[in-house]
Amino acid sequence: MFDLLSIVFKYIFVIIIYMFIFVIIRMIYLDIRAMEGNPEDSGAYLKLLNRLDSLPYRVRDSYSLNGTLSLGRSSENDVVIKDAFVSKRHLIITKDEEEYFIEDLGSSNGTYVNKQLLVDAAKLINGDIIKIGDLEFIFVNRI
Amino acid sequence: MKNLVDGRLPRRLLLLFELMSMSLILLYRRDSLDIKIVALAIGLLVVVYGANYILSRLSDGDLYIFLIVSMLMSIGIIMIFRISSDLGLKQLLWLVIGIGAFFGSYFMITKLSFWESLFPVYIAAAYSFFAMTLILGDRKHGAINWISIGGISFQPAEMTKIILVFILACFFSGRDKFSRYKYADYWMMGVIYSFIGLLFIQRDLGTAMIFMGIFTGLQYIYSNDRKVIRANIGLFTIGGIAAYILFDHVKVRIMTWLNPWPYIDNKGYQITQSLFAIAEGSYFGTGLGRGNPSFIPLSYNDFIFSSITEEMGVFTGIGIIMLFMILVYRGFKIALRQDSKFYRMLALGITLMFGLQSFVIIGGVTKVIPLTGLTLPFVSYGGTSVLSSFIALGILQGASEKLTREEIR
Repeated sequence: MFDLLSIVFKYIFVIIIYMFIFVIIRMIYLDIRAMEGNPEDSGAYLKLLNRLDSLPYRVRDSYSLNGTLSLGRSSENDVVIKDAFVSKRHLIITKDEEEYFIEDLGSSNGTYVNKQLLVDAAKLINGDIIKIGDLEFIFVNRI
Repeated sequence: MKNLVDGRLPRRLLLLFELMSMSLILLYRRDSLDIKIVALAIGLLVVVYGANYILSRLSDGDLYIFLIVSMLMSIGIIMIFRISSDLGLKQLLWLVIGIGAFFGSYFMITKLSFWESLFPVYIAAAYSFFAMTLILGDRKHGAINWISIGGISFQPAEMTKIILVFILACFFSGRDKFSRYKYADYWMMGVIYSFIGLLFIQRDLGTAMIFMGIFTGLQYIYSNDRKVIRANIGLFTIGGIAAYILFDHVKVRIMTWLNPWPYIDNKGYQITQSLFAIAEGSYFGTGLGRGNPSFIPLSYNDFIFSSITEEMGVFTGIGIIMLFMILVYRGFKIALRQDSKFYRMLALGITLMFGLQSFVIIGGVTKVIPLTGLTLPFVSYGGTSVLSSFIALGILQGASEKLTREEIR
């Protein structure tokens, strides 16, 4: 009885240990993808405020803003976020003469800038917090 | 897509693994079962799961390292329990104390900030630990590295290892302070070599190797003066050759490494038994409780890797190596992300310590490199080893947080 159990369990143990390693490596992989590029030393950028480890999809730590940047769930956006709360085409940030404007593209769950629901478009200033679903970005523009 | 990697999944896998293995072990030990063992086994499950949960709330640093270590120690405790339920019981207690020490050192490193300025204290502490060992030490398994005070015996060298990391972090992060003195680099090297010499007198070759490795690694990364590094490597080479010629116990290690078979009934007994055990295990092992790990001397301590491989298979053995690899990878990542120079070096030193120690002992028992007695961190039986490894892990956890906060705005 014990022998049989022991033989069955040894296979299960190996499977559990490898699944564990696989899951951790996968989480680390997402973490590394998020590290790519470091735009913090050039112009304006969006910085993620959530802890990367807590997010089950691929998001970068920061995104630099040069010209226009669109954000949404579908892959034709500049920033693709596979979160259920993000609409296919969610928002767009445009640059106009050294000033940045954020515009919601009619997303179903909305965009919040400094805890206020964004209607149409608004001008972004340094330190604004942009909230989309559970994700929070801070807009940094140091001139 | 969304739930492919749930953050809680590793924690649940760990719990499942512990539940299954614990119940199998209790079934194996069903004749000598008493309520204390069952209570402690359940206690460990609660403590490990709880500690991981609390940490995910408490720390905004790295959450993987404690998970990885939890898995390693679960594999270790099952094997120790299977070999001897007395030792298993003791190890369970040590693990609970160790997790307490982990949180203790984590809070001390994040809340207190005077660690950088204690350089003379560290040096004094290291030398007094060595003096204590030499005066009060008992000889066990060929090395004087145990002292016992009032019935509690411990290995000071395990603690000195952590102090060494602090000494080196202080020295390399405070270069400007030290460069006032002439030949500061050489003085530092002299101090480290005196440690290694003292370890040699105690015949603790494994720990001497770890000290050398941590020092050389940090020096290679942080020293500006290439001449000092060359001098270190030269001295190390000469010292190694001299040790081989002068000391018999070094020669024996090399001999049994190159060819243990002529000495199978005495000097080569340990290593050949270890190799037999690994071969016996094959891919999936014989199954828990169905092998003969007790044929290997120290099967629960230095040779735990061979025992695990015998009963749980080479795949589990490779799994352990992979767990150590991702632990070391996380350690390097923590060091890269840390802004404070002192804590960065601390993280790097501790990572080097874990990596080297696991490499030296796993390499030793599989006859890849000469065998030196060391514990496999978190897996092997041993109170001081568990305690010092968890203290080191707590420091690493503390260093994974942003300790010098700078505002974005």
